Amino acid sequence: MRNKLVAFLLIAAVVFGALGTLNVRAQDATLLIWADDTRAPILEALGAKFKEEFGVNVKVQQLGFGDIRSQVKTASPAGEGPDIFVGAHDWIGELSKDGLLEPLDLGDLAEKFTQASLDGFTYEGVLYGMPYAVENVAFVYNPEIVTEVPKDFDEVRKLSEELIKAGTVKYGFVRQSGDPYHFFPIQTAFGGYVFGFEEGVGYNAQDLGIDSEGSIAALKWFEGMVKDGLQPAGVDYDVMHTLFTNKEAAMIITGPWALGDRLRPSGVPYKIAPIPGGGRPFLGVQGFMINAFSKNKELAKTFLFDFIAAEDIEVTATGKDGVERTGIPMVLFGFDRPSAFLPALEKLEDPDLIAFGEAGVNGLAMPAIPEMASVWQAWGNAVEAVANQQVSAEEAFKTAAEQIRNLLK
Amino acid sequence: MSSISQPIGQVSRVQQGGLTFKQRRQLQNAVRYVILTILIIFAIFPVLWIVSASLNPLQSMASQRLIPNVSDPALLLKNYTDLLGNPDRYPFFRWLLNSTLVASVTAIGIVSITAPAAYAFSRFNFKGRRNLLLFMLLVQVFPNLLAMVSIFLMLQQLGVYLPFIGFNTPGGLILVYIGGAMGTNIWLMKGFFDAIPRELDEAALVDGATIVQTYIRIILPAARPILIVIGVLSFVGIFNEFVLARVLLRDKETWTLMVGLYVNFVSSNFANQWGLFAAGAVIGMLPTLIVYLVLQDQIASGTTAGAVKG
Amino acid sequence: MTTGTLTRQPSVQPAIPGVVTLVLRYIGLMVVDAFALWLIFSLINDGIWELAVAIGLITLFVNIINLRPELKPLRWMSPAFALLALGVIYPIVYTVYVAFTNYGDGHLLTKTQVVRLLESRTFVPETGVRYRWEAFINEAGEYALWLTAPDGSAFFVVGQGELQPVSGDIPETFQGFRRATRAERTRLLTAAATQQFGPEDNRLSVTRDFVAVLEQRFSYDRATDSITDRQTGAVFTADDEIGFFVDRAAFEAARAQNPEARASDFVMKIEGFPAGVGYRTVIGFTNFDRFFNSPALRGPLLSIFTWTVVFAFSSVASTFALGLLVALLMQGKFFGRRFFRTMLIVPYAIPALISVVTWRGMFQPQFGVFSQIIPGLPNVFADGTLTRIAILIVNLWLGYPYFMLVCSGALAAIPADLYEAAQVDGANRFQAFRFITLPLLLVSIGPLLISSFTFNFNNYTLIAAFNDGNPVIADSPIPAGQTDILISYTYRIAFSGQGGADFGFASAISIIIFIIVGTVTIMQMGLTRRWEEVSRNV
Repeated sequence: MRNKLVAFLLIAAVVFGALGTLNVRAQDATLLIWADDTRAPILEALGAKFKEEFGVNVKVQQLGFGDIRSQVKTASPAGEGPDIFVGAHDWIGELSKDGLLEPLDLGDLAEKFTQASLDGFTYEGVLYGMPYAVENVAFVYNPEIVTEVPKDFDEVRKLSEELIKAGTVKYGFVRQSGDPYHFFPIQTAFGGYVFGFEEGVGYNAQDLGIDSEGSIAALKWFEGMVKDGLQPAGVDYDVMHTLFTNKEAAMIITGPWALGDRLRPSGVPYKIAPIPGGGRPFLGVQGFMINAFSKNKELAKTFLFDFIAAEDIEVTATGKDGVERTGIPMVLFGFDRPSAFLPALEKLEDPDLIAFGEAGVNGLAMPAIPEMASVWQAWGNAVEAVANQQVSAEEAFKTAAEQIRNLLK
Repeated sequence: MSSISQPIGQVSRVQQGGLTFKQRRQLQNAVRYVILTILIIFAIFPVLWIVSASLNPLQSMASQRLIPNVSDPALLLKNYTDLLGNPDRYPFFRWLLNSTLVASVTAIGIVSITAPAAYAFSRFNFKGRRNLLLFMLLVQVFPNLLAMVSIFLMLQQLGVYLPFIGFNTPGGLILVYIGGAMGTNIWLMKGFFDAIPRELDEAALVDGATIVQTYIRIILPAARPILIVIGVLSFVGIFNEFVLARVLLRDKETWTLMVGLYVNFVSSNFANQWGLFAAGAVIGMLPTLIVYLVLQDQIASGTTAGAVKG
Repeated sequence: MTTGTLTRQPSVQPAIPGVVTLVLRYIGLMVVDAFALWLIFSLINDGIWELAVAIGLITLFVNIINLRPELKPLRWMSPAFALLALGVIYPIVYTVYVAFTNYGDGHLLTKTQVVRLLESRTFVPETGVRYRWEAFINEAGEYALWLTAPDGSAFFVVGQGELQPVSGDIPETFQGFRRATRAERTRLLTAAATQQFGPEDNRLSVTRDFVAVLEQRFSYDRATDSITDRQTGAVFTADDEIGFFVDRAAFEAARAQNPEARASDFVMKIEGFPAGVGYRTVIGFTNFDRFFNSPALRGPLLSIFTWTVVFAFSSVASTFALGLLVALLMQGKFFGRRFFRTMLIVPYAIPALISVVTWRGMFQPQFGVFSQIIPGLPNVFADGTLTRIAILIVNLWLGYPYFMLVCSGALAAIPADLYEAAQVDGANRFQAFRFITLPLLLVSIGPLLISSFTFNFNNYTLIAAFNDGNPVIADSPIPAGQTDILISYTYRIAFSGQGGADFGFASAISIIIFIIVGTVTIMQMGLTRRWEEVSRNV
């Protein structure tokens, strides 16, 4: 029996020798880019132009925006990752912790980007991405119903009460639930914060502000809205915009993504204003990052610095919305969000995007520190618990702060 | 004996409760129709909602009504025309074809590999049989969170030498799909084989047939409804799978329908396009329903009886 | 129907295989072996040991069962086992391994990968010159560079020749070379890793920004398991206990002062690794420890576990009952049977993701269809009990077609003779169902009920997509929801704990959950065994 097995393996080994000469490895000299559904069509058009001007092939693979973040973690170390990928600035804390990001040096080019966007992509003093657009929420209202923009959230409440009483609308102001991102501007309007922030230094993970006085005051304001029936429950992005479209709500807080998606197609009049009461929205910066495992880093830098950030190259691309646009690459990337690239921002004509940009002037970059992962859940849960009238505002934020401290332990 | 008699649909020869045979039958049918109608409402209502979402050009689920309130009727089909009329962006039929191919090959693979294994489990008595069965069930209940990571790495490494089953190929995906549900499928099929009377194969063996012949000529035909059930279940399951596929298929041309719909319409940051997704899902439902329509009679009609009577 | 013959399983037949079959089988096996060996050697060549070992074991197993006559029954399962091993067992082994490591954010890469990454880093030594460069090309396609130093001096270098001092503005053509186009210049960057300029003692590398003599910044010494930063001279030693490269000298000095000092405070931090150069390492039972010794984590565990069991059990019971009911109703011939059957399978043909979101929309308190039909229906998502009921309804809708299909198939496989015999014996329909249909059905479906139970026990997708485990448990010491099941609760912690995802911890949780579910499965197996015995006696 054992002899048979040995004989077998021997014969097999001979056949194996013949097969062994096969070698199926191939060298790939193209630049591989990962992008989401909005950026992929633009990058495909740009890739063709890059090939024409710089003589190098570009291949674009489309992934879900969030999938890019999780999949670079598996694919890059295995050598299947992209050379360049599109992403948000708040990924860099986590991805740089993993050693997956190539530090970048923009040199003189840095002057052409807004300071806020560069700050967003800077982590512990090192730049990890080249930004292309900035996004933040703003106060959006229906000018046919709201004639004067409220100065602070107490006025928002008063106006809501009046409008509801007059029967003009079902609700005055509605807040999008599901994530605390849309609550943050209200929280800051009352002087609250999440992590302590120091200009030039960044966020301090030790200084948690969820249970600070201002934060609790903001949640109490919201609690009052809920208790007095001024605030419906279970309002997600979809419901909030439907209420606004149906003129059942007059004031919302939303971002530039809603323009092409909801506000414009609905035909309802809208105006965009900064957050009342000096509330500071979170700034999100989107940009390109280079994979530390890329074998084409110099080429990737050339693609980003000499081509995407070029001012003398015009490209025509059809966007996700089916509209054909022509312009320098950065203008194409800034079609649905204010650009992070000053020459493109100066060319910006869209009044809505300009208004969103103005509302983001006092914005705070979303913390990129990896600790944020623990914060979102506990913080969001607290706001939801108040929205569902499960607990009082004070209790909710105190519990959340304790939960976060437990998680960070 | 061609059709199998069934406990409920069957006409009882014994009259009971003073009702005539015809009355009983009518009552029975009435009850049946009432229950079925209620069930259909339960089953179909959300589906109508999805169809309605696919007709709503606003991409919003909250704004839709069962009867879409759209000013211009031409807008009703907007999602469908957007989806189908843009082959460069959304190579819809390519995806549909990929899905159908992957799902069919997987279903056929699962049935043809599972059946002999299940047969052996059902009919042979060997040492460790029970433990092996238990082992297979146990590995299937492992909540494998990291499966994706390890499968990705495995296919990527294999693909260097075996490009046809590597990462980013339908071949690799099919391999993983077939292997992935093997345990459950063997169990399912073994259970069915157990219900087929052993007298059938014993009779054949006595007649001088080999085990292989018995398996092919007796067991497989007798088990046809089950083979088809497993085939259909696998087909539908794989057709709608996108969690693994979206990690293992990178190029637009290799995507399955669900990956294409997911990546384009659901995975964005904020603005999900439910209308387009629903339209894709409604069309994507058709292959499954066609497969089921074609095969449903096979599922419900057993052939065991015929084999017994020889 | 008589018993007796049925209880005896036919033993393995000592059938005499024909010579042809035998030869065919050996040839087939040989081809498989040759192929597997080639694959194994290639993988070993690449250093991918784990996969090589896995394929080796599978091949060995296939060989043994095909060569040993007493293992003949297993031959029927060779392909099934090979695929099961690759598709299921291999990933499980991987997960078990990961559970004992610190794999996760901060420790994502293996030590080899980290070393490879660091060794590819370069720097320009202090004495080095960064030249601005311009590319030239000749007709043969060879490249030359015009280099300008910061002090204004310039050089021309052809391939790996000497640097020739030149002066003046950069000309259009020079020594048979012409200025390269932008595309040609860019192509030089593609090959930059391999194409270098200048003589051997002064080998220049091309980057986008400059040309310079680049030195390898980090070097790894296998003997001492340490990395030297050649730019600063600092040495960092691998600490396999915490999975970081650590400044051992500084750490030991600190420990001499303060015995409480921790190695993790002296990790190597460089550009690109702001949180320290970490790598994946085996950390023993630490992940399990964390699970069992965190009071915060245990806080809501009991209520979550109870709901998980209730959810899984109710889901199986309801889907099976409805599926069986439909399958029974579909028996016999009646008008519209085909229509009803097709309509009732439709829920199964829709991707679960879209179904769950649709159901969610239907329960929505403002625009949802249920709140329109039932005035005064409270907000389902704000109330734990209501959300739980809603989840069970949704899962019933999602799951019954599966059991309807399976039961149809199973019912069809039950021999008609049994019913005829029962009727002859005077059994009524209920009795026939109770004593014939149900036991036989449970034999074939029993294991599926178990696997359905375990599937629902881990049905993360439904819980996450329907309401993300909400509404929240307000006084929990750690974020948790009233509809969270074990897996959604624990994975959330594993993925949003301190500083991002922790695959090691998540894997440890997988194993703990597996032990629970596995025990339940084994217990339920006892039940099926009884069903099986019952069926033998029919």
